[in-house]
Amino acid sequence: MKIEDVVCPFCGCLCDDLVVEVEGTRVVNVENGCTLANEKFMGDHRLKAPIRRAGNGWEAVSYDEAIEETAAILLDADRPLLYGWSGTYGEAQSVGVHLAELLGAVIDNTSTVCHGPSIMAIQEVGHPGCTLGQVKNRADVVVYWAANPIEAHPRHMSRYTTFCDGFFVKSAFRERKVVVVDVRETDSSQVADEFVKVNPGGDYAVLSALRAIVRGKRDLIPPSVEGVSREQLFRVADLCMSAKFGAIFFGVGLTMAQGKNKNIRNAIELTEELNRHTKFTISPMRGHWNVYGSNEVFTWITGYPYAVDFARGIAFYNPGETTSVDILRRGECDACLVVASDPGAHFPRACAEHLARIPTVQIDPHVNATTHLSRIQIPVAVTGIDAEGTAYRMDGVPIRTRRLFYGNYPDDLEVLEKIYRIVREARG
Amino acid sequence: MRVILKTRPREKPRIPIEAEEIIPQNFLRKNEITVFHGNKEKSLDDLFFVTIEGPAVSPDQVEVILTGDTGVIKRVGEYMNAGRIIIEGDIGMHCGNFMSAGEIIIQGNADAWLGREMRGGHILCEGNTGHYCAAGYRGEKRGMRGGMVEVKGNAGDFAAEYLSGGEVIIHGNCGDLPGVEMRGGTLVIGGDCARPCGNMTGGTCMVFGKASQFLPTFRANGSQEVEYAGKRYRMNLFRGDVANRGKGTLMVRA
Ligand code: SF4
Repeated sequence: MKIEDVVCPFCGCLCDDLVVEVEGTRVVNVENGCTLANEKFMGDHRLKAPIRRAGNGWEAVSYDEAIEETAAILLDADRPLLYGWSGTYGEAQSVGVHLAELLGAVIDNTSTVCHGPSIMAIQEVGHPGCTLGQVKNRADVVVYWAANPIEAHPRHMSRYTTFCDGFFVKSAFRERKVVVVDVRETDSSQVADEFVKVNPGGDYAVLSALRAIVRGKRDLIPPSVEGVSREQLFRVADLCMSAKFGAIFFGVGLTMAQGKNKNIRNAIELTEELNRHTKFTISPMRGHWNVYGSNEVFTWITGYPYAVDFARGIAFYNPGETTSVDILRRGECDACLVVASDPGAHFPRACAEHLARIPTVQIDPHVNATTHLSRIQIPVAVTGIDAEGTAYRMDGVPIRTRRLFYGNYPDDLEVLEKIYRIVREARG
Repeated sequence: MRVILKTRPREKPRIPIEAEEIIPQNFLRKNEITVFHGNKEKSLDDLFFVTIEGPAVSPDQVEVILTGDTGVIKRVGEYMNAGRIIIEGDIGMHCGNFMSAGEIIIQGNADAWLGREMRGGHILCEGNTGHYCAAGYRGEKRGMRGGMVEVKGNAGDFAAEYLSGGEVIIHGNCGDLPGVEMRGGTLVIGGDCARPCGNMTGGTCMVFGKASQFLPTFRANGSQEVEYAGKRYRMNLFRGDVANRGKGTLMVRA
């Protein structure tokens, strides 16, 4: 059976034009998707049933047993951590937040290792952003700063920028100018009209210099700023100021580089400065699929987008203190529930070691690096394949994903609701 | 009055203790002082051996001494307005948050957010301090507004972020972006630092060591002599941050 208009469950682009062919409970073909999408739909590393560590190996357990034991571990903890959430849908994330409140836990999502600093900068100075549709139809200058869409978001350029014609940009390839700023040459820099190579850690200074140029302080700029010549800085500033509509997209190369949220704040303030001359917008290239949705859901319920600490009964937020990497590195938490993400693969070694020391439970369809650190793993349906729900695209547009077939797994929501019910009963 | 708080051994010693009630005025007025151990509220006696010596009629006559495994105790001295706290070892995050008067002496190292948004009083840290020393809370537009923070060792990144008033003296080195978004007050750095005062709009920062990755958006403005630790130094003067129409003063040793 061929199913049209399927939403891809991999990256923050949430491409919604895929055609997927299904035979029984298996995807056999994907059209329109990139390589990452094909691997996500057709990959087959799913865990068959819940498992629990027994000695040096694993034993199979029933769903009910695994769920009851998970609830007991969380109830017993003095500082539980609930981490992940970006690979699942909003309805399940919402139950996660309520569970954290009931437990007095810290709940955090994968923003902590990607665009958390972007959110911190937005909290300081706001966000002159727009939807991807606006960019597609209007932008004649696009800047990718410390992002490599050809590899990380393979269809971003073909659906929204370089290779995609828009309502006011009839021939994108000729009319749109693309600037790539990065510390090294990438596949994306090779299709750029202008490639700006910055010294590692030099983004903040280059952004400050561009702000000064846009303010008319050209005389202040030295011959070279962090490896970028004054002439190139003037050229890029002129290109941006003469645009009819410009869009900056930035990646984790900027959020996780030296300066972190201050880099993003500087980029936002450059965008604001450019808006004195023309229309300019700025947007993060969100990577993990529904990470934007986790920020939305956390914020509706708690007022904070990630790293929310309920230890005192009220929500407290302080990245650097209540973020999961910091909590794990300091060895603070005494139990962890990982949902729909793989910290074992992405976190620093000290964090992974602490996850292995404490009782860690993972709710995830696949065997991954975190499996090896966990005491229990509960396999679930994959959102966007055999589970459906609401997810947010990188520009904040909510999209309802589709269930392609009914499989044999419960979904995240079902499992989390069962844990929540047991905890609520225990807590009265 | 002298209050001695010695930590009791704990089964899970890395779980943070939140202890904003440990301030001198509470030992004079409050019947029961509670602290949080992770997500559990406990009485002070559950986590500390408490000894009280001598009388006091006002909070400024109260001296609190913290001893033992104190490095994970957060928020000690938060909203403190009189008296003295002496910490005989390290102290956790947010020590002296919002304090308006009194004195805190830390004989070891202090974790991040030391003296966050403090309004007055004096903090002396004899060791090193973490990131965001004397800074603001997330999204807050003003950091420390008054008083004095003195660190004898080094400070982490973003020291004195959003500094708006008062004086911060770091005798050792600072990490990245000290004085970032600074808008008033004085920041003195005895050692080295990187990218001082990005986006500053006001205030004065003096760097007596080496300032690496100096930002291109500061305008040279002559030089002058300044005294630090009993010696006179010639300092190059800069105005900025021009990227932000700033009118701050940055001085770097010539
Ligand atoms: S670009 Fe992203 S959302 Fe689009 S098909 Fe590829 S992985 Fe999926």
